Amino acid sequence: MPAPATARDLRFIDPAIISRLGTMELKARTVVEGFLAGLHRSPYKGFSVEFAEYRQYLPGDDLSTLDWKIYARSDRHYVKKFEEETNLECHVLLDVSASMAYRGTAPMSKLEYGSVLAASLAFLMHRQRDATGLIAFDERITFRLPAGARGGHLHALLLALERMQPGKQSDTARPLRQLSEALTKRSLVVLISDLLEDPAGVIKGLRHLKSRGTDLIVFQVLDPNELTFPFKEPAKFRDVESAEELLADPAAVRTAYLRELAGLTLRYDRELRGAGIDYVQLDTAQPLDFALLAYLAARQRRK
Amino acid sequence: MSFLSPLFLAGGLAIAIPIALHLLRRDVAPEIPFTAVRLLRRSPLEQTRRRRLRDLLLLLARVTALLLLAFAFARPYFAAAAGAPALRIVAIDRSFSMGAPGRFEQAKTLARDAAGEAAAGQQVAMIAFDDRATILAPPGGSGEARRAIDALEAGSGGTRFGPLFARVQELAANGAAQLVIVSDLQRSGWSDEAPPAIAPGIDVDIRQLPDIKSNLAIRSVRRSDEAVVMTVVNAGNAAASGTARVSVDGQERGSAPFNVPPGSTTDVAVRYPAPERGVLTAAIDDPAGFPADNSRVLLLDASTRPRVTIVSGADGESGFYVARALQSVDGDDGFEVDERTVTSLGALSNEQLARSGVVVLLSTRGLDRKSRDAIAAYVRAGGGLLVAASPDVEASVLATTMGWQGFSGAVQAEPAGVLAPVDLRHPIFRPFGALAVNLGDGHFERTWTLRAEGWDVLARFTNGAPALVEKREGKGQVLLFASDLSRRWNDFPLNPAFVPFTVETVRHAAASSDRRRDYLVADAPQGVAARAGVYEAAGRRIVVNVDPRESAPAAMSATEFTKLLRPADAVTSVPLEMRAQQVESRQNLWRYGLLLMMLALIAESLVGRPAWR
Repeated sequence: MPAPATARDLRFIDPAIISRLGTMELKARTVVEGFLAGLHRSPYKGFSVEFAEYRQYLPGDDLSTLDWKIYARSDRHYVKKFEEETNLECHVLLDVSASMAYRGTAPMSKLEYGSVLAASLAFLMHRQRDATGLIAFDERITFRLPAGARGGHLHALLLALERMQPGKQSDTARPLRQLSEALTKRSLVVLISDLLEDPAGVIKGLRHLKSRGTDLIVFQVLDPNELTFPFKEPAKFRDVESAEELLADPAAVRTAYLRELAGLTLRYDRELRGAGIDYVQLDTAQPLDFALLAYLAARQRRK
Repeated sequence: MSFLSPLFLAGGLAIAIPIALHLLRRDVAPEIPFTAVRLLRRSPLEQTRRRRLRDLLLLLARVTALLLLAFAFARPYFAAAAGAPALRIVAIDRSFSMGAPGRFEQAKTLARDAAGEAAAGQQVAMIAFDDRATILAPPGGSGEARRAIDALEAGSGGTRFGPLFARVQELAANGAAQLVIVSDLQRSGWSDEAPPAIAPGIDVDIRQLPDIKSNLAIRSVRRSDEAVVMTVVNAGNAAASGTARVSVDGQERGSAPFNVPPGSTTDVAVRYPAPERGVLTAAIDDPAGFPADNSRVLLLDASTRPRVTIVSGADGESGFYVARALQSVDGDDGFEVDERTVTSLGALSNEQLARSGVVVLLSTRGLDRKSRDAIAAYVRAGGGLLVAASPDVEASVLATTMGWQGFSGAVQAEPAGVLAPVDLRHPIFRPFGALAVNLGDGHFERTWTLRAEGWDVLARFTNGAPALVEKREGKGQVLLFASDLSRRWNDFPLNPAFVPFTVETVRHAAASSDRRRDYLVADAPQGVAARAGVYEAAGRRIVVNVDPRESAPAAMSATEFTKLLRPADAVTSVPLEMRAQQVESRQNLWRYGLLLMMLALIAESLVGRPAWR
């Protein structure tokens, strides 16, 4: 994965700044345009969103399809894809369970971060004229917007994201199962969740989707507190979903917790990648460019 | 271990604070919402147990530091020297109260055990005590000490603790010693004297024998015209009865039944006209009590009553009170009173005068040279002389008569106060017991101011001037009373103490005159066995009886006994408190307490630091 652009270029997608913006549309637009602006100045031109509609010239291609403007700008030969080559149905699955509402030291909760990410991805998808849908879930599907590409559809999606509220306990396997039964054409599914549940069910569900021909990108969104467990004083830790309580001394349990988390991450990474599913772990204190780059790379591989 | 400032130990109660915090703190853990509690729950718990261990170690370190701080401020020290003292003294009571059946064997066993408990290298001495304290085994091995009491038997003496402690302090020689006393701790053991001051290094351990609940005793025996009367004392809680028997020169001559209520005294008269000469023995049976007081011996010779010659002034009246006081004592304890004037004294030959046990000189006016020489010769030959100052007694005549250099007696016209004995243990004052306070009721308006170097002062007036003095004069004894006994310079004859004072002073003068024939075991003449019986001493027959005070079985507890022992705090020795400070300053245990406290605090900081987690 190539390194992102400089910090100066990516200042518009700093979560601390994004969180202070108004509407989700504004947030998403700021993130995407800032990201794209950074990409323009990046030496890695291959990741330009604009080029997502084109492919490199191959011997035998019809010369009338060469885009001379792009050639003038990039000194490379690209041909425009046919529409059907670019017509992808994207589904964003956003986990809205109670654990996603957790905010430790980061500027945004995981739900806010995931919502902005989902909105940003929807923006990108819309620019590429991909049909984009949204499914929110906790232990069941709480919101569903079928995939669409019309202008008003994006607005409705962004509005839905802005109004998202945290739900109850999470059960990721169920929406995956329902989605796999509903999908009829080639799709890209982006799962945004903290995945802090039994991994077996999640992995099984994702594999099943993959086996149906669906491309998958999994974003595991975690708060810095969950990633580093910075607590110092003994406390009663209460689970925000199950209300389970545990009196523990952080000094005594930190090492083992981080080991458990690393094990969970490793399992997701190993099993999902092994199934051809992209897996990206995100820190809600970090800029969203990493997530967007990961999306673009995955999108690129599917051309 | 002792403490100079024991009140600081109360500071140790501050350990309640960390303990309370330790117990309460656990309940106030803050609540933190978290998302991955299931991952926490899978964490191993050994670190949590380690945390609890850390908390306990912190609590222990803090409590220890607080206790050590209080301990150090209390200034601890070890009062006894490290290890056992070099000397162990075992003292066994062999007074006749220890002679009850099986009692003395029990005492010997306790004494042997006490000797056997000596530490390695510790010397053991054995003392047997009654009226006197005798060293049976000087400091040496415990085996020798144990063997020393093998042949020991209960004696006839009374219990006196004073001589024992004097002997103990002699042996200890101001060093440290362990004293083990095997005794029944009779109360009468302190009746003659105040408990002594004990050197601080002497550690007293009491091995007390069980109380004897009852005892019958013959306290006295006398004869009347047709009977022999013995006074029987019942010290038990139940009435006692039996048969009183009288024998003369070993032959039983009569008997009579008796019944004595509990805690009472009864005169038992045995109808028997005792002869004029011989040795009469009165006896009862008391198999469970003290054997030695079940009999009493009486010399039937008429001369057991001392003859007292009272020399008054020419008017013959100055001896009135003295004569009446002496005549108030009847029976064989009484006196034969011969009242004379200074004029008629001259009519007595030296032989006749020699038959007197005591001469009470109340006037020197008109005493001719012959009489003065006779008195001087009488005293030097063993007679007793009691002189009472008065307007009729001239100190210069006394000095000339007796040849006393430097003696003078000036009349002091100012009130001298009241009479106060110097030593209540003196034979004159010992019989008073608690009644000695009555001596202070008489007021002395005029007295002699005596210049009497070389005299023993037996009593003083409260202005400090000598009131009663004595000295040996040849074989005899002289007592000088610095005020009169005829109520001219004082109101003493009107005081209830006058009669016993006069009687005991005269009796003492008579006893010291070496003409006495009736003794107690404690004051038996030298050369006479310390046992009841009839003996020959100085060419005459004497009887020795046991001290009736020893017949009272009442005992004190070991705690009571120990409390009576005063630590030595005389001017010439270091006060007890200062001695404690000296010992503490040598040991400086408080420094070790503070050092250990610092170590506890260092441990607390090490355990509490984050790296330990």
